Amino acid sequence: MKPTTKVILTILHVISWIIFLGLCIKTGAFLYSFIVSLAFNPEGAKDLYMGLNLSALYHFDIGYYVVIGAGTILISGAKAFLFYLVVKIFLKINLVAPFSKDVSLLISGIGYLAIGIGVLTLIVSKNCDWLATKGVAFPDLQSVLGGAGEFLLLGAVIFIIAQVFKRGIEIQTENELTV
Amino acid sequence: MTMPIIVNLDVMMAKRKMSLNELSEKVNLTLANLSILKTGKAKAIRFSTLDAICKALDCQPGDILEFVEKR
Repeated sequence: MKPTTKVILTILHVISWIIFLGLCIKTGAFLYSFIVSLAFNPEGAKDLYMGLNLSALYHFDIGYYVVIGAGTILISGAKAFLFYLVVKIFLKINLVAPFSKDVSLLISGIGYLAIGIGVLTLIVSKNCDWLATKGVAFPDLQSVLGGAGEFLLLGAVIFIIAQVFKRGIEIQTENELTV
Repeated sequence: MTMPIIVNLDVMMAKRKMSLNELSEKVNLTLANLSILKTGKAKAIRFSTLDAICKALDCQPGDILEFVEKR
């Protein structure tokens, strides 16, 4: 392996850790303020996370508020878990013999999770669009949710890579069992 | 799935009264790889390996490998 590749992988590992921690903090903060807004102080809906104001939705219908809020938290949590899997891959991968069952499972997991995040984001954003037509004033949720299409594309690409990886495991096993 | 090709390496080794360690040294293969071959776990065998084993055991490939049709 080239020294530059090793450096790039180390940098990516550190970045993955930072993103994972950031997403955990974001999800935790979102969850906390969401619970506070529901259980103790409805004013909390005015600033759920970094100025996200869902108070109009809260006053429109508390049920929709719970659905959109829970969906957004779920998406954020799923993204954190996705980066946790990425960090785990960096910890487990051995570039001398990279095709292992553990890494294959992690890659498949990332693929399924990315597709799940994409679908969930699509559902939540379409729900928001529908609620907006009902006259609910919505802030820009795109910055919080992220793009559904990107995650679906990512999921599809990773899913294909996971299939190729499975074939790689078979070839590596065959190679190891060639005397 | 079990292979229809049977490896009779242990039989030939017994006939030549050769231990696994001795064969390993003669054919320049690790004990782990020879063990994989002996126990029938190997998926493939290189011609160079077969050549070395045949030389060491003074036998033909057919003495080591046998085809047994599964029913």
